[in-house]
Amino acid sequence: MSTTQTAARGVRPGSSWTSMGSSRTPALGLVIRYTMLTVTALVVLVPLVWTVLSSFKTELELAARPPRPLPAEFSFNNYTGALESFAFGTYLMNSTIVTVGATILTLVINTMCAYGLAKYNFRGRNFLFLLVLATIMVPLQVILIAVYQVAAQLGLVNSLWGMIIPPAATPTGVFLLRQYMLGIPDELIEAARIDGAGEFRTFLRVVIPLCGAPIAVVTIFSIMWRWNDFLWPLIIAQDQSKYTLPVALAQFNSQLIVPFNYILAMSVVSMLPVIIMFLFLQRYIVLGIASSGLK
Amino acid sequence: MPKADAATVTAAPSRGRRRWLDPIKVAPYLFVLPNMLVFGLFTIWPAINMFNISLYDSTNGRTFRWVGTENYSELISNAAFVRAFTSTLFFTVVFVVLTTILATGYAILLNQSFRGRSFFRAVLFLPSLLSAVVVGLLWGWILDRTNGLLNVGLGALGLGQPGWLIDGRLAMGVIIFVGLWIHVGFYTLIMLSGLQGIDPSVYEAASIDGAGPTQQFFTMTWPLLRPTTLVVVILATISGFQSFDFIWTLTGGGPVGATTLMVQYIYERAFQSPIRYGLASAGGVILFICVFGFTLLNYLNGRRQEAA
Repeated sequence: MSTTQTAARGVRPGSSWTSMGSSRTPALGLVIRYTMLTVTALVVLVPLVWTVLSSFKTELELAARPPRPLPAEFSFNNYTGALESFAFGTYLMNSTIVTVGATILTLVINTMCAYGLAKYNFRGRNFLFLLVLATIMVPLQVILIAVYQVAAQLGLVNSLWGMIIPPAATPTGVFLLRQYMLGIPDELIEAARIDGAGEFRTFLRVVIPLCGAPIAVVTIFSIMWRWNDFLWPLIIAQDQSKYTLPVALAQFNSQLIVPFNYILAMSVVSMLPVIIMFLFLQRYIVLGIASSGLK
Repeated sequence: MPKADAATVTAAPSRGRRRWLDPIKVAPYLFVLPNMLVFGLFTIWPAINMFNISLYDSTNGRTFRWVGTENYSELISNAAFVRAFTSTLFFTVVFVVLTTILATGYAILLNQSFRGRSFFRAVLFLPSLLSAVVVGLLWGWILDRTNGLLNVGLGALGLGQPGWLIDGRLAMGVIIFVGLWIHVGFYTLIMLSGLQGIDPSVYEAASIDGAGPTQQFFTMTWPLLRPTTLVVVILATISGFQSFDFIWTLTGGGPVGATTLMVQYIYERAFQSPIRYGLASAGGVILFICVFGFTLLNYLNGRRQEAA
């Protein structure tokens, strides 16, 4: 990176500023590109790196002016303190249960639904598909009260099931999986039927193994959504013992109950799983977004 | 008409068997059933029922009193709601316009291969992975008037200490900025996939014909990217209208309601005293009409431009 940058800079004052046409574009273009991207990267990374570094600082160090970038020592006191003095272990566990449970449920019902919509002709198929698509325009935030009413009548309020079941039928998941399954040749499914495999067995043994990529995409999206979910768990969790990590962080931060050094440490904990997932599965995330954009 | 044809085609193979429950006929319904059950209970039914609830008054969610359109007339004359409504429109329009411009710009910057490209792409996308609640909380900490990192830095440079979250106008700017900080990377990736769908030979031909980069952008990239832009505009509109999480921890809707958007207004009327379910539902209906109206407008506009 640095070599191209200096090379570009070297050319800039001479010919490239004044000369017209395509000869100036590569050098000047590179300088502009690197400047803009570097500034952007700093705007993104400085707050995050600052947060991570600060999560190792003591309360005194956090209050010090001028602030020092590095903590005096990298101690995990804020992390252990938050887990010991407050029930962050419970919140972390709740978040994990909800994320894992909802993701499994989403995968099961979304793949089945997508398969039904993609590979069968039946009365009402197009209607159901359009219905699913249309609700991308009806986010939970809009119908909040009416969904809460249903959850309350079914006894799902103040239980982790109430955070797992209602958001599980994601329209995006059905859509992505259906688009992919449309590309699976009908002959494969027909062959399995002729071999005597039942409808569900064909789905499980023939179709699912072919859908690795979209299943990975939906899994990643679902983990991201449920791990970071806030408004719905906020409404469902009425006792502190049912809080998920984001709900706990938001509530305790506004009530100033938990010292801010603990809040910082737990914020880092909430960011870690998704960042790690991204580092390993970046390819699928990019794939998923590309296919959701292509319609 | 073609639908009927398709039905007869699938019915054909089963005719030989003549079984009462043909698995091929029953299977699709069983496959879609679990998803549609959850979907119907927690999305379709509530979406319909919300219109119904908005015509009643209820302070506890158990007893409902029919009031007709009174909730709507109350909302329209309620200063707090009108403010939340106009703030939401302002926020969403600015958010969508800036998102589209920035996502297009970054996608163009990231489209060609150069050293560090995948690093910058990953960094730009990073914020959209994070919990919006946590992002709001962290920016609130950094933008704190006296102790925040930004103002400590500005103070050291002798640039004063703006009340980012205390001055209403600045706070609106801040929530737009943080909204962009979270979401732009996601839309950039969509734009990038659109750009990569453009055949490079189009540009080669244009370069040979002597078109400069600016000319190339406006005569080719922009028109060819229009379908992708439409997707970005529609998704960003929906996302803008439903903004809540990060604002809740960043400003809490303040100072004095300056950054209270419609979702927060609905949440507070439904779950904080004084509870008004009907009023909150009417707010939800109005928000839905906004989302639907803007999406339709964008879609029709996109179709018209494509046709032209």
